[in-house]
Amino acid sequence: VSKRRFPLWTLLAVALVVALVVGSGVLSSSPPTPAQRAYAIESVLRCPSCEDLSVADSTAPTAVAVRATVRQLLAEGRTDQQIETYLEARYGSTIVLDPPAHGWPLLVWLLPLVGGGVAVAALGTFLFRRRSGAVPGPDLDRPGYRPGREQLEERRDFLVRSLADADAEYLAGDLAPDDYLALRQRDLRLLRAVEAELDGAPAPAPAAATGPAPGHPIQSSAAGHATQPSVAGEPDPAPGASNPGGRDLAPDPIPTDPPIGSDARPAARSGRRRWLLRGAAASFAAALIVAVSLFASNRLPGQTATGTVSATQSQQLAQTLDEAATLENQGQVGRAAQLYQSVLTGHPGNEVALAQLGWLEYQTGRSGNSASLMDDGEAKLERAAGLDPGDYAASLYLGTVLLQRDTNPAGAVGQFQRFLADDPPAALVQQAAPVMRQAYQQAGVPVPAQLAG
Amino acid sequence: VSLGVLVMASGLVAVLATRPPATVDEVYSPLVGKPVPAVAGTTLDGSRYSLPSPPGRYTVVNFFASWCGPCQQEGTELVKFQYEHQQSGDASMLSVVFDDNASSARAYQATLGATWPTLSDPGGRLAVAFGVRAPPSTFVVAPDGRVVAFLVAPVTAADLDHIVARAEASRA
Repeated sequence: VSKRRFPLWTLLAVALVVALVVGSGVLSSSPPTPAQRAYAIESVLRCPSCEDLSVADSTAPTAVAVRATVRQLLAEGRTDQQIETYLEARYGSTIVLDPPAHGWPLLVWLLPLVGGGVAVAALGTFLFRRRSGAVPGPDLDRPGYRPGREQLEERRDFLVRSLADADAEYLAGDLAPDDYLALRQRDLRLLRAVEAELDGAPAPAPAAATGPAPGHPIQSSAAGHATQPSVAGEPDPAPGASNPGGRDLAPDPIPTDPPIGSDARPAARSGRRRWLLRGAAASFAAALIVAVSLFASNRLPGQTATGTVSATQSQQLAQTLDEAATLENQGQVGRAAQLYQSVLTGHPGNEVALAQLGWLEYQTGRSGNSASLMDDGEAKLERAAGLDPGDYAASLYLGTVLLQRDTNPAGAVGQFQRFLADDPPAALVQQAAPVMRQAYQQAGVPVPAQLAG
Repeated sequence: VSLGVLVMASGLVAVLATRPPATVDEVYSPLVGKPVPAVAGTTLDGSRYSLPSPPGRYTVVNFFASWCGPCQQEGTELVKFQYEHQQSGDASMLSVVFDDNASSARAYQATLGATWPTLSDPGGRLAVAFGVRAPPSTFVVAPDGRVVAFLVAPVTAADLDHIVARAEASRA
């Protein structure tokens, strides 16, 4: 009595489908609240003045403004799509984090699907062939079936190639001696049967009369593949270990054995199938990489795959400050100032943002001859230095301002002494040494040894 | 090969020589070619202002901030443009404060000598309506109310004159 087993992969597939359905929320009966709708829309919109940060996750003023607009449009009764369209009509399609599903960007969506489909189809084909037997073409063993000459020749050629593949794999060490001998015996048996059938088949038309190529193993007994081979006459496949396992290698007269493909390991011997498998695996991997990069590219540090932001507030703050510093180093002073300002909006006492923005304002005001801007900058620097006297950057900036603008070398020296006491980077000390030396000399204070140049 | 390189180099020189100078830093905006969004609000001096629809003359809408270096760079050029077109009345300026407090913006405009209307934009409503990402951002609106150009780098009076002339030529 054959017992029908429920395949494991079927259970896995069912579990996957159930998880996807439940996770997609299509079974949820309660409609989203306006706040949930707003957050969902804001999560797919790109902050206009940030790099790959969603409007929902950004504290930049532009993101705050877009959030207010989204909520206002929702209150006016606009649909989600209408709101996206409204913003796209102003910022362009880049305001949406995901690429649009039309035009060339559609390829970004289609390629993973196509790649995945090709991979699945190739894997299915491979598994089907492996299960149904490695030999292509009609089932020659089916009772009453009479294959034509072309089919027989096709099968003969396949078996010859298969034998050659087995040789190559055995020599490369990819095939165990037992498997190799079993395969060889089976293929030779099948080959003899096909040859016998070919001897009795009607002669083909002259144009189709194609036999094995010159030098074909089946025509050359010297190559070890005689038309009526004797395994005993074969070269020993495992030097020094003839007839391993004491098997009876005498060929059976009739190919009544089950197909070779019923054994998983020998089935992998076909080079063509191996390439098929490799191609399928490569396609699947490529599709997976594209899909993962698509879904993972917009995640923040600490953000989970489900979109929940688990990064702490301090992590987000540090990230924003890093981004601002990068922009400042790249010469994008305006955008850097915006980010520092956004930090100060939420954290008015952040001494790093105060010091950096104060210094930017002072420099901008100095180059543009704007006294009010320099005032603002100096006020921020004083506040930063007061909040954290150990912040060497604030001390250095404020000291420079006191020297350059207020002609207060004594005050500048006080700030520079704080700066030097806080163990600043040597490169920064070297860079600021001329200004500091000037302050010490004007104040009549001996120049410290570390500033001696 | 040498002949091919020579021909290509000559073609490149010819193309570059016949292009207009790249002083105008225009960038893409979906608003270009479309009607200007409604512009209305309170100015820095507390009065109400709304841009007529259609404006009836070229209007330069400039988003700025007092803390923005490039804005300061272009400030005198905007004053120059306004001055040059004040007599003819064919073009005018309109400024919108971008992410700045009113007192700083007021002081900045006063220092600059800007006498045109300057709208405060609390909450950035106008900035979103125009799709502004950062200051300075400048839109040129034609008399019929269509946006004809969007610029993000510091502009000069010559840049704006060039855009107005181009728009006039396309209308003719």
